[in-house]
Amino acid sequence: MRRLPRLALGLPAVLLLLVFLILPYAEMITMSFRASQPGTMHGAGFTADHYRNVMSGGLYLEALARSLLLALFITLACLVVSYPIAWHLSRASGRKALLLYACVASPLMIGVLIRNFGWMIIVNVDGPLNRVLLSLGLIDRPLRLLFTQGLVALALVHVFTPFMVLPINNALRNINPAVIEASRSLGASRFATFWKVILPLSFPGIQPGLILVFVLATAAYVTPALLGGQMVTMMPTLVVQTLVGTFDWPLGATLAVVMATAALIAVVVFSLATHRLMERVRA
Amino acid sequence: MTVASLGSRASRLAGSSLIVLLYAFLLIPLVAVIAASLTAGEFMRLPPEGLSLRWFARFFQRGDLVEALLMSLRIALVTTLVTSIVALMAALASQSLSRRMAVWFQIGMTLPLLIPELLTAIGLLFFLYRIGLGKTVLGLQIGHIVLAFPYCYVSIAAALRQIDPALDDASGSLGASGWQTFRHVTLPLAMPGLVMGAVFAFITSFDLYTVSLLLKPIGGNTLPLALFDFLTYEFSPTAAAAATMSVLLAFVGVAVIQKLVGLQRAF
Repeated sequence: MRRLPRLALGLPAVLLLLVFLILPYAEMITMSFRASQPGTMHGAGFTADHYRNVMSGGLYLEALARSLLLALFITLACLVVSYPIAWHLSRASGRKALLLYACVASPLMIGVLIRNFGWMIIVNVDGPLNRVLLSLGLIDRPLRLLFTQGLVALALVHVFTPFMVLPINNALRNINPAVIEASRSLGASRFATFWKVILPLSFPGIQPGLILVFVLATAAYVTPALLGGQMVTMMPTLVVQTLVGTFDWPLGATLAVVMATAALIAVVVFSLATHRLMERVRA
Repeated sequence: MTVASLGSRASRLAGSSLIVLLYAFLLIPLVAVIAASLTAGEFMRLPPEGLSLRWFARFFQRGDLVEALLMSLRIALVTTLVTSIVALMAALASQSLSRRMAVWFQIGMTLPLLIPELLTAIGLLFFLYRIGLGKTVLGLQIGHIVLAFPYCYVSIAAALRQIDPALDDASGSLGASGWQTFRHVTLPLAMPGLVMGAVFAFITSFDLYTVSLLLKPIGGNTLPLALFDFLTYEFSPTAAAAATMSVLLAFVGVAVIQKLVGLQRAF
């Protein structure tokens, strides 16, 4: 009866996202086809030169490949770190579960910059990690870990782990315990039960976690910029340098579109490849 | 004791130490930031050399950092107000959609969360220049509203879904107007979700970095931007003090959410 006026309440939100999300993306794609001109936002006329430039240029494609590979590594590392946490979390109850939830959720509510900064303090040349390793006699001079790709990877795994733990935890909680008991009582070993029953049934949580972390990791800017130093160029740092440093907006837009398209293709391929598994789990 | 039971005890021990290590991995950077900010010494060292709050005092003596903090607070406050109202309205609208449509609507509303912040920031950079809002506080404000919106929407929509629709009907059939039903039935029941959404929006906005970097007004800095710059030339406990304030804000947020709706329902 009051359906229409009620629907109208959604209008401001739809307008907000239409005007300040969808239109900006259209603007970004348009910008990528404009001519570059130093001193202004863009020159006159349209061109596909930037795409030709990016697709033929070794530097750009190298940075893209490096970013995608790093994102893939981070996504898999996140899965390995997250699964035991999610499993443990899904079995806990009461006050203990509450405390564990707080442990997983608190990092999510703290900015990426600050969590990266925490790692800077830990791995600093006279930081606690180096001093522990020195006093244990494992190393004879401090490790220089700051501004290495390994530290960037570690910090990104830390940033994205909660994004993976929460959906997997939800999926694990949705598994009927009777199914696991049945598998055990039919003589399956612990390992077989995990591999053949629990892991596939938790896939509805694993799949969105993998996709989300991969996409976010591909375009992560802050961590490589703060902890990666100037040594290796990743795609997101290259994009920002092009936009803010050299003010070549059309080229920067092209780089952003290429990066987004590459990540999107990877996600679509992965979704199609895992489609049958998802269908089987649902059935 | 048999060999088998010894083996299973050993594997259980290995399992629980692995879990402890993984949780430690999650929390160690946060502990490091807080501990480093409390040092009484001159340098960023762990464990801290004596305890004091002097670096917090030092933070408040730095004009540029305090100005950035105020700017962050102001933007986060406006973001919270706007997103809470717009998201509440959208969540109410989604209730009259069919189940299928509501799922699509939810995906649409959470888009800014599902696509990388960097890409949205770049699109906004171009678009805001096009409409004459490039490098303005209003432009930056819009960016924060767009990026904080999904968190707020998800919390409120989840709270509204918990409300029994029969209450709505009962209120209507007892003669209450649409507004009265909203004011006296729906709103009180949705309040915890609304507050949670507001907390999320505030904290998200307070922590945003990439979008602020690309959209920041001339001469204006938010706290994360100022902190990044600070870190690149000065590695002192003042930075840890600034970061600790964000960590404490998050802990307060988590506590509020737990009090209102419970963490397990929230995440």
